Amino acid sequence: AADGSGLGLDEEVKITKTRQPVAKLDENRLLSQQGIPKLRKVAKSKLKFKGKGHEFSDAARLLNFYQLWLDDLFPRAKFADGLAIIEKLGHSRRLQTMRKQWIDDERPMPSVDNPRSA
Amino acid sequence: DAVPFGQAVEVMDPDVRAHVYSLVTALGGFNGEDVDRYVLGDDALACLRDIKRWLKLYDEKSNRMDVARCLGESNLVNGDLLPILSLWEASDQNSKYLSRIALACMELLVPLTWPVEFHSQMTVNHHRHIPYIQQAQVQYKRGILSHGKSSFLRTIIRIGLPSMAIPRSERSTRDEGILKLMLYFIRNIATISPNTRLVAEGEEEATSRSATIDAFQDQDAFALLLTMCSNVGDDFNLQDVVLLEILFHVVKGVDVEKLFMDDAQRKAKRTDELGGLLQKESSLRRDYAKSAPTRHGRFGTMIWIKRDDAKVSTVSGQDVLKDHQIALQKMDQSKKWNKPRPRRKNEDTSFNNDFNAPVQLSSTATTNLRKFVEEFLDSGFNVLFTHVRKAIEREADRVMDINSRQYFYTVAWFLQAERVRRARQLQRSQKENAKKKIEPDSFGLVAGVLNQETFVFLNRSMQYSYDHKDWEDLNAEMRCFTQILLTVQEMALSPLEEDQEIAENIQNRIFYEETTHDRILAILRGYKGQGFGYLDACTELAHVFLRMLERYSKENIDMHIRSRRRSRRTKKKAERPVGDENGVENDEQGSEDEDRVEAERVSKERKFDFKRFASKFCNQNCVDTFFAFIQFYKELDTEQLKRAHRYFYRIAFKQEMSVLLFRVDIISLFYRMIKGPGGLDSSMPIFREWEEFVRQLIRRLVKKLDQRPALITEMLFSKINSTMFYLEYGHERQTLSTA
Repeated sequence: AADGSGLGLDEEVKITKTRQPVAKLDENRLLSQQGIPKLRKVAKSKLKFKGKGHEFSDAARLLNFYQLWLDDLFPRAKFADGLAIIEKLGHSRRLQTMRKQWIDDERPMPSVDNPRSA
Repeated sequence: DAVPFGQAVEVMDPDVRAHVYSLVTALGGFNGEDVDRYVLGDDALACLRDIKRWLKLYDEKSNRMDVARCLGESNLVNGDLLPILSLWEASDQNSKYLSRIALACMELLVPLTWPVEFHSQMTVNHHRHIPYIQQAQVQYKRGILSHGKSSFLRTIIRIGLPSMAIPRSERSTRDEGILKLMLYFIRNIATISPNTRLVAEGEEEATSRSATIDAFQDQDAFALLLTMCSNVGDDFNLQDVVLLEILFHVVKGVDVEKLFMDDAQRKAKRTDELGGLLQKESSLRRDYAKSAPTRHGRFGTMIWIKRDDAKVSTVSGQDVLKDHQIALQKMDQSKKWNKPRPRRKNEDTSFNNDFNAPVQLSSTATTNLRKFVEEFLDSGFNVLFTHVRKAIEREADRVMDINSRQYFYTVAWFLQAERVRRARQLQRSQKENAKKKIEPDSFGLVAGVLNQETFVFLNRSMQYSYDHKDWEDLNAEMRCFTQILLTVQEMALSPLEEDQEIAENIQNRIFYEETTHDRILAILRGYKGQGFGYLDACTELAHVFLRMLERYSKENIDMHIRSRRRSRRTKKKAERPVGDENGVENDEQGSEDEDRVEAERVSKERKFDFKRFASKFCNQNCVDTFFAFIQFYKELDTEQLKRAHRYFYRIAFKQEMSVLLFRVDIISLFYRMIKGPGGLDSSMPIFREWEEFVRQLIRRLVKKLDQRPALITEMLFSKINSTMFYLEYGHERQTLSTA
């Protein structure tokens, strides 16, 4: 018995089943290629508005655009739920710096703010 | 322990039950010979006293409710106590013995009808018995209110009358006790209402508020209340709080506007309401018919929605063929997963004090209550409320925590009633004859709550409730403050010069303190899931306050406010004496620490700038509060929709901070309100205003998206302070150094 136990033959092998991790909508997913980078890229090319007189159809276009993007990014959640999750993520420090950066990207920064560097 | 099915659960000690039952049996009963006559047992008085002793020494001492339940099961109230009381009523009330028995009956009725409340020291017994006892109490109330020809309320009042007649200085403790019993009995009857969570047994009508009010009127309980309220100052000093409670339970939840309509108006209103409801329903149907399938359910249509990268999504149903929008909605609806919601906290169930639920009254009850309310306003309002306020401030022994909430709610209710009454009077006099001038009334009838003491009390209570997160209290206080503001506003428009002067004075005082301004802002910002009633109250207060302040500051261009701010301790010495004069919250500084903080604060007068103040309401938290409010758009009435509209309009176009509204969920809700599915009813007049607002907002949004593509990502989030200004205006804020 002694040598048997030393080999570990008698001991039962414990099988712990781990659950498949559930996909989450978190910062990483939001910042991945499918996430906000895609949103920014596609918005430039895809999103065209008709302007004055077509306000409500424009709004529908805009909302549908977001909905489809969100469905690609995180198919599990309904539109409203997904928006709520993303809004909450927006409070984190990492996202706040990213958001700032995205805004700064479009600003004609150095030439205006700091003429010496131009 | 689980008991097998079919076996009775023993809910109480069989010995106790046997004792109590034997007492109830020995009390008396209907005799075999003449069945309709109740015959008292030989030792009825002693039996009654024994039952009382059981209630006291068993139930109260050991904190159970067993005896109360036993008495409910043995039908003591309806089977014995009420017949005994009518026996006393039928006799000429001279018999000393019978009078003592009647009093003993009342002594039992009061604890048996006492409202069961949830509290911290509840045992298993409580949880077991409370539903039964609540049901039983409804039965008691039914018996008391409507028992053939006898009127028990009047009987009870009659028991108390001799003690009432004695002047207060000569009253004995026993007399005071009888008065107290009588009033608490009326309070209990007003309080008991069928528990909506328990099975209804057809008692709703017989024990509803309408039935209570009618009985109060018919059996002179209202007359008693009026007498006592108007004499609270002299003869009924100690009864003020109970009177307040009774008033509170009679008026809570009653719609003031409807109360003061005359029959024709009310009928018109009802028809309007019915018409409105029918129209709402048909528009709902139309809405559905728009997208309803035109073929049978198995017709089996399926479409693809082409997406980027050659992907497709499939959606089934014929309705999706017609409209792209519907297809996308269906895609969204068919998702199974829901974001887990945070569990709602266990609300403290002070259900007896809930005033957010509306109450419907029958037309006779409306007439009766209106008559009572008018007479009360004419005679008792000032006396009672001044007295109660003093009692609460003094922290008198008879005052409980709940009373201040009741005080504020009731004051608010009666102030509104007074305003509506005046409006109706004005209407009527204009209709009847335009020539004859009617002497304008002064606001003296409600002056008792428009004095500096009340404002100080109100301010302090609001601050206290806000700090201690007593949301229901704060709710009542906000309603009170709103009504005070509205009353003062009306007073300023009064034709009497004296009224105008007083109103001016009051407004001066209300708007002078910057702490008041800040508190209202803080309350509005601090909304976080406190329920709809609270939401309604805080948005209304903010709305009314802002508008009145705006008007007032326009009329008084050089308006000054007292701002208290922290400053260096070294400075304080010079200015200290100025600061602590007529301070409002100065009497609360208990500890040394607070003293120091207080000392560091120095009050200064400075010119009031409305624009600056209004801009404080322009932030994400306030927007979120109003957003939470407008999410109930389907249930809101015109006035509430208008309130939200004005606020959002102010944000977007007056304060030029439309960026705050550029968030996908907000835009999505606005879009849904106008274009559906389940949008606002397009026939309502307020719909046009909203449609126009949303259109303007979207136009601005589209323009902004063109100018600043970064908004496409920012639309997902609440805005950060550092970038908000740039998004709105396209350049950085010029920061001026502020002195």
